[in-house]
Amino acid sequence: MSEFDAIVVGAGPAGSSAAIKMANAGLKVLLVERGDPPGTKNVSGGILWGKDLSQIIPDWEKTAPLERFVERKVTSFLTADSEISIDFKTLKFSTDRTGYAVLRTRLDQYLSKKASQAGATVITGITVDSLHMENGKVLGVVNEEDTITSDCVILAEGANPRVAIKAGLRQPPGDDDVALGIKQVYKLPEATINERYNLRGNAGFAGEYVLSFLEDDVYAGGFLYTNKDSISAGVVVSLSKLRENGKTRSFDIMEKFVSHPFISRLLEGGQIQEYSAHLVYEGGYSTMAKLYGNGYMIAGDAAGFSFSNGMVIEGMNYAIASGIMAGEAAIQAKKEGDFSDQSLSRYGRMLEESYAIKDKKTFRGIEKVTWSPLVHRIIPRIAENSMMKLFNETGEPKDHVVRILLDSAFDQGISKSDLLIQGYRLMRRM
Amino acid sequence: MKKVPLDIIVMVKQVPDSQEVVIDPVTMNLNRSLTRNVTNRADENALEVALSLRDKAGGTVTVISMGPPQAETTMYECMARGADRAILVSDRFFGGADTYPTGLTLASTISKIGKFDVVVAGEESSDSSTGHVGPGVAEFLNIDQITYCSHVDYKDRHVIAERELEDGTEVVKTPTPVLVTVLLNSNFPRRQTLRRKIDAMKKGFEVWNLEKLGLPPEWVGVRGSPTIVRRMRSIKEKERAAKKFDLSNLGNLVSELYEKNILKLEED
Amino acid sequence: MEIEEKLALLNYKTDNQYAHITVNPKICETCPDHFCTFACPASCYKIIDGKLNFKYEDCVECGTCDIACSHGSVTWTNPKGGQGIKYKFG
Repeated sequence: MSEFDAIVVGAGPAGSSAAIKMANAGLKVLLVERGDPPGTKNVSGGILWGKDLSQIIPDWEKTAPLERFVERKVTSFLTADSEISIDFKTLKFSTDRTGYAVLRTRLDQYLSKKASQAGATVITGITVDSLHMENGKVLGVVNEEDTITSDCVILAEGANPRVAIKAGLRQPPGDDDVALGIKQVYKLPEATINERYNLRGNAGFAGEYVLSFLEDDVYAGGFLYTNKDSISAGVVVSLSKLRENGKTRSFDIMEKFVSHPFISRLLEGGQIQEYSAHLVYEGGYSTMAKLYGNGYMIAGDAAGFSFSNGMVIEGMNYAIASGIMAGEAAIQAKKEGDFSDQSLSRYGRMLEESYAIKDKKTFRGIEKVTWSPLVHRIIPRIAENSMMKLFNETGEPKDHVVRILLDSAFDQGISKSDLLIQGYRLMRRM
Repeated sequence: MKKVPLDIIVMVKQVPDSQEVVIDPVTMNLNRSLTRNVTNRADENALEVALSLRDKAGGTVTVISMGPPQAETTMYECMARGADRAILVSDRFFGGADTYPTGLTLASTISKIGKFDVVVAGEESSDSSTGHVGPGVAEFLNIDQITYCSHVDYKDRHVIAERELEDGTEVVKTPTPVLVTVLLNSNFPRRQTLRRKIDAMKKGFEVWNLEKLGLPPEWVGVRGSPTIVRRMRSIKEKERAAKKFDLSNLGNLVSELYEKNILKLEED
Repeated sequence: MEIEEKLALLNYKTDNQYAHITVNPKICETCPDHFCTFACPASCYKIIDGKLNFKYEDCVECGTCDIACSHGSVTWTNPKGGQGIKYKFG
């Protein structure tokens, strides 16, 4: 007889969502978090997309610690001298809110409190050292040589899943599976943020940048999100490119991003409150492991559920969705009294049916594009070149826009056919 | 010889995390909204002393604290490290207490618990740094006290403690009951375990109020506090002169110190 | 702002009894790339007097070094008992 129906490792969005779901159904749940309080080990860029939380917390948009809703979404290429952007803002987002800026210490504490209120035993400040397994079946978790037993364990440890790796349930990630995220939180008065980013009330700005001005072949993306009275600014650095480069330090890239003339003026006067870093899953569908087995399921970042298609970076929504599904699978397993691989394969099927995996499939191979020279170097240069030609009054007659684009590409040493092929690949993957 | 189990009481306090303390420039008070609370570090050392005495002699460890309801995290933490029982003395009447009524409140809590052999406290709290409460409790209870201990041992109904003093170490042997205060960082506190924390959450801790202690309300909290804060001011740190010397050329350092009359030769 | 100043803003509860990451100096001695010194965002890995110097106290627990080191020198575990980095915003 196990002490718990389910033990959840990690009280982030995935773990707490699973715990809430199961506890609401009357399961005996233990949620263990090594941070004290929850969220103190966690970093995310900061936008929670989607509405998955409604399934377990119907009033979350009123009660969760949300910073600002996204009203203005910017996707930019930054060259040394220029910024070329798609700057989308819509009043439609104020009625149909789809993204919210969050800070994790606040969000994660809120979610774990909800799990506790639902009836889960929430333990913080304790690290699960390993899994207790017999014949490939997970029987519980081990801390300080003592086993706590449960019918199933949901591993929601985040992007650096030590317990899953130690138990051989996940391969250690490689250079191409993950990128390094670095973030700085800047304190700025609410009024200054509103004025500077053209915002009113609790509307917010979410900007994502391709840092094509970086020297050598270091590839990185940047982000800038507005919180109530602070800004989250950060970079996501390709580890494989950093390794190839072999002379640039990761933390210098962060400094280069915030020192870019068009970024630094958005942060001007802001005091750095916190510096943080975390791994970000980049690998596409093919690198995802088997996410369930005898007595266990893997959810959230630990399962590789984060995603970027170059336009949006998402992760917390998949974490919540996969956590809820793992919880649902455990509830069914409890009903049947069967926590075997066969029974928990229900979780795998639910994932297959969900947008979490469908997105992964739709954008299969997208990481090859988002980290390609086309996106990081060629397009930004062509765009900058074209814009200069378009707007520069030289007294000469103007060319047709397509002509300018093709000429600009040619200036960059790219043939028309090459551009067409590369462009086609990009469109297909996005 | 017959083993005599010890009943030990540990006094702990939840304090603002000293790494996060922000002082409001206008009121000069701690801005508590920006600071998270943690268990006073020296009290973790005190708890470790109590647990290791219990390891040796057997008996019980009871943790007591005076504070607001959010101190529950400290109560569970102490139980997860190994305390058998935890009592949070909490009542709005206790608010605004200085060290005098705090000592009185904790001493009457200990009296109410009844039997005890050793009371252990941290040397001082990181948020007010008075070091009053431990000695105050000993006085209220009318028992001996050994302050600023770096090591505490127990043998034959006596506590043997090493006190760190400015000019050396003093070893003191005192019969129980006795109160000891423990130096910050004088030991490595054992970790919380998952098993003990689950048990702690199941068992829960006790909350005692003013009525339970039976003290008159005018003796506790702000009303029972003789201290009056007249004024607060911040101290501007004087910048100290500093100079870098190359390690490979210490001679320069020595001769400069000599020239400035800081260093003297023996025959001078 | 220098990385050291940024790290000084952070709240750590350092475990003085347990180093959650260890390196094998023998492997580091012969390492041809020392990629850890470029990858680690907290500058925990430094070359001092030609030797790799590692300090776990500044670690923000991201896990990068475990991936960065392709020579098997890094042993990575989570800190225990709620110790280590304690973010305020996250």
